[in-house]
Amino acid sequence: MEAKKAAKLRLGWIVIGILAVLTAVEFWVAIAINSALLYLAVLALAKAALIVQYFMHVNQLWHKEGHE
Amino acid sequence: MSTATTHTSAVVHPEYDRLALNRFGLWLFFFSESLIFLILLLTRFYLFGTSRPEELNQTLGLAITVILLLSSFTAYRAETAIAHDDRPQFLRNLLATILLGTLFLLGVVLVEWPEAPRLGIVPQEGFGIAFFSMTGMHAFHVLSGVLLLLMVYLNGRRGAYSSDSYWGVEASIKYWHFVDVVWVFFYPALYLL
Amino acid sequence: MLSLGLIRGLIVGAIGAVIGMALTMAARVALGRPAWSADPVSFVGAISWIVFFLVGIGAFSDWWRWAQGEQAGDPHHPDPNAPQWKRYFSFDPSHKVIGIQYTVTALALMYVAGLLALIMRLELARSGLQFMSPNTYNTIMGLHGIVMIGAILLGVSGMANYLIPLMVGAPDMAFPRLNALSFWITVPGVVLIVLSFFTGGFDTGWTGYPPLGARAPLGILFFYLGVFAIGLSSILGSINFLTTTLKMRAPGMSLFRMPIFVWGMLATSIIQLVATQFIGMSFLMVVLERVLGMGFFDPAKGGDAVLFQHIFWFYSHPAVYIFILPGLGIISELLPVFVRKPLFGYKFVALSSMAIAIIGFLVWAHHMFTVGLGNVLNSTFMFTTVLVAVPTGIKFFNWLATMWEGKISFETPMLFVLGAFVIFLIGGLSGPPNGTVVTDFFLHETYWVVGHFHHTMFGGFVFPFMAAIYFWFPKVTGRMYNERLGKLHFWLMTIGFFMVTTSMFRIGLLGMRRRIADYDPALGFDTFQMIATMGGFLVGLSMLVFLVNIVRSIRAGERAPENPWRSRSLEWQISSPPPEFNYPTPPVVVGGPYDYGVPGSVYVRFGIAGASDADPARTSSDNGKS
Ligand SMILES: [Cu+2]
Repeated sequence: MEAKKAAKLRLGWIVIGILAVLTAVEFWVAIAINSALLYLAVLALAKAALIVQYFMHVNQLWHKEGHE
Repeated sequence: MSTATTHTSAVVHPEYDRLALNRFGLWLFFFSESLIFLILLLTRFYLFGTSRPEELNQTLGLAITVILLLSSFTAYRAETAIAHDDRPQFLRNLLATILLGTLFLLGVVLVEWPEAPRLGIVPQEGFGIAFFSMTGMHAFHVLSGVLLLLMVYLNGRRGAYSSDSYWGVEASIKYWHFVDVVWVFFYPALYLL
Repeated sequence: MLSLGLIRGLIVGAIGAVIGMALTMAARVALGRPAWSADPVSFVGAISWIVFFLVGIGAFSDWWRWAQGEQAGDPHHPDPNAPQWKRYFSFDPSHKVIGIQYTVTALALMYVAGLLALIMRLELARSGLQFMSPNTYNTIMGLHGIVMIGAILLGVSGMANYLIPLMVGAPDMAFPRLNALSFWITVPGVVLIVLSFFTGGFDTGWTGYPPLGARAPLGILFFYLGVFAIGLSSILGSINFLTTTLKMRAPGMSLFRMPIFVWGMLATSIIQLVATQFIGMSFLMVVLERVLGMGFFDPAKGGDAVLFQHIFWFYSHPAVYIFILPGLGIISELLPVFVRKPLFGYKFVALSSMAIAIIGFLVWAHHMFTVGLGNVLNSTFMFTTVLVAVPTGIKFFNWLATMWEGKISFETPMLFVLGAFVIFLIGGLSGPPNGTVVTDFFLHETYWVVGHFHHTMFGGFVFPFMAAIYFWFPKVTGRMYNERLGKLHFWLMTIGFFMVTTSMFRIGLLGMRRRIADYDPALGFDTFQMIATMGGFLVGLSMLVFLVNIVRSIRAGERAPENPWRSRSLEWQISSPPPEFNYPTPPVVVGGPYDYGVPGSVYVRFGIAGASDADPARTSSDNGKS
C-alpha cells in the first residue's frame, strides 16, 4: 500500500520534471527557430498527452478499476 | 404503474458501475468543452495566421505557465494522497493547488490584462481580439476550477472523502488538469509563435 | 400551488431577473456610467433569470447538498400515490416523465411556429404588402425558423428520452438529475426566444449573421441567449444518451443487436456533443462584438465576416442530421413491424447513420458557395456534399428491400412512415442541385432551397415524429388513438404539404427570393403563392385533427393491449405504461431485434440475469428475485 503510494508520488515527480523540460524547450524553440509552428505543436501535444495519461488517468476509461 | 413495494430503487435497479458511468460522462463533457477552446484557437489562426505582436510580456507568460503546471502537479499529489487515506497530505496539496490557481488568475486578470492595452494590445481590435477572448475564456474556466477545488477542500477539512469514496475529489481534479491542458495549447499560440 | 416546481421556478426566476438587472445597473453607476443601457442590463438580467428559475424549480438542490459534502444518493422519485400530473410540472428525474415533458413542449412549439408560418403565408398569398412591415415579416420568419428548430431538438430529445432506456433495457438514463436539468433549461430558453419578439425583434433571420446581428434590435440578444440555453440542453442531453447507450445496455445486447433507433440516436448524440459548441461560440462572438466591441467579424478591426459563416455552418449543417437521423431511425424501426419481415441489411442501415454523421461534418461550406471561397474549396465541398447521398441511398434501398413482398398493413403509423419515405426521397433528390456549385449559383437564396429544406424536415422529422407518436401512444398512455382521425390527419397533412412545397419548387426555379415579404406581380408568382398558402392552412387543419384525436384518446380512448403491434422490441414486452423503473425482471437479449417471421427466433428473455456479460463495465448481479 505505502510502496504503491510512494511509486505514484515518484511518478508525479518524473512527469512534472519532463513537463518542465518540455516547457523550457518550447521557450528555447520560440527564440531560436523562426517558423516554429510545427515544433511548438508537437511539443504541446506531447505535454498534453503526458497530463492526460498520467495526471488524468485516461486509461481508466478502458481498464475497469474502481478507486484503488 | 409502480406500486409502493417496487418503488425503492434498490429492488429493481441492476447494479451499474456508478464510477465508470461518471467517468465516461465526465470525459464526454471534457471533449465537448475542449471544442470551445479549439474554436478560439482556430479563430486566432484564421484571423492572424502565425503572426504575433512582439510586445507581450514574456516573463509573465512563462511565469503563469509554470505556475499552472505546478498546480497540476500538486493536484496529482492531492488525489494520490486521498486515494491512500493520507488526509493531511491531501489537504496540504489541495490548498497549494488552490493558491497556485489563484496566483495564475491574478497574474492574468490583474497584471496581464491592465498591462496589455498599455502595450497597444486592446480587446477591441487586432491581435487583442484573440488574446483577450482566449485568456478570458480560459480564466473563466480557471475560476470555476478554483471554486470547485475550494469546495472540495472545505469538505475535506470536515472529514469528507476516503480512499473508497472520493469521486468529488477525482472529478474536480480531473477538471483542473483539463484546464491546464487547455493552457498547454494556448501558451505557445499566444506567446511563443 | 407552491408544491409545483414550475410555479416556484417562475417566482424565484422573476426575483432573480430583478436582482441581476439591479446589480448590473449598480455596477454601471459605480463605474460612472448611466445606469440604463439596454444590452448589458437585459443580458445579465436574463442570465440570472435562467439561473434563479432553475434554482426555484429545484434543479440544483441535490447538487447543492453534494457540494456540501453530503451523499446525495439516488435521485428522488416522487411519492407514487401523489397525483401524477404534478410530476410533469416539477423537476422529476424519471426518463419517461422527461420524455413526455420534452414531447409535449415540442408539440406546443410546433403549433406556435406553425402559426407563425401561416402568418407568413397570409402575407405572401398575394403580391403587395398585406398587413405587415418588412421588418416584422423578417422577425416572424426568423422566429418561425428558430422555434421550429427548438421544437425539433426537443422532439428528438423527447423520443430519445422515453425510448432509449426502454430499448436498451435500462431502468433510467445514466444521469437522471442532469437529464431533468437538460429539459428544464430549455424552458427559459424558449421563453427568451419568444421574448425577443417583444423586445424589438430581430431582422436577421435565424442565422443571425454579422454584421447585421451585431447591429440588430435588442431582440437578437434574447434570441442568442435562448439558443445558448437550448444548446446547453442539447450537449448535456447527448452526454446522457451516449453514456446510457454505451454503458447501460442489457446483458447480451451487443452493438449490432441494438434497435436502429438507438443507432440513429447514437449518431445524433455524437453530432450534438461535437457540433453544438460551434453555434454557441459563433453567437457568443457576435454578442462579444455587440456588447464589448470585440471586432471578431469586423474587417475594419482586423476581423473577418466569413469566419462567422464557417463556425456557424459547422454546427448548422450537421444540425440537420440531428433533426433527421432519429426520424430515419423511426422509419427503420417501424417498417419491419408493419411489413412483418426482417429489416433488410441491418448492419448497413445501422452504420449508414454513423457514416452520414461523419460525412456531415465535412460539408459545411456548401452553404457558402456564393461567398467567394474559390474553385478549389467550392469543388471540394461539392464533392463531400454529394457523398452524403451514398449512405442515405443505402438506407432507401434497404427500406425498399424490407418492404419487398412483405405483408404490409396500413395503420396510421405506417402511413406516416410511407409518407416520410416519399417526402424525404424528394427532399434528398432536390438537394444535389443546391450542392452542385454551378446550379447553386442559380438556386441559392431562392424558394427552391426552401422547398428542399421543408421536404427534408417533414420527411426526416415531422412525419416520423407523428408516426412515433401514434405508434407509441398505446405504450405511453395505455390507450389506443382513433384510427379514422389518424388517417384523416395523414391525408390532410400530406396533400397540404405537397401543395406548399410543389409551389415553392416552382416559384424558386422562376427566381422567387427567400426572406422577403413581397414580390413583383409581373413575375407571375401569385397563383402558386396562393396555392402554397392554401396548402399551409390544410397542414394547419390536419394538426387540429391530430390535437383532437390525442386529447380525446388520452381521456376516453379504448384500453390498449400490451403489444398491439406485435412488436419484438423490449418496451412492448412490459405493461403499458411501463413501471417506474421499467423492467421488473431484467431483460437478457438473445437474438437480433428484427427477425420478424423467422421461425423460432427470440429477441429477448426475462429473468435470467448474468447469463451473458458482454460489457465489462457492467456487473450484472442477482436481480432475478424481484
Ligand atoms: Cu447544409
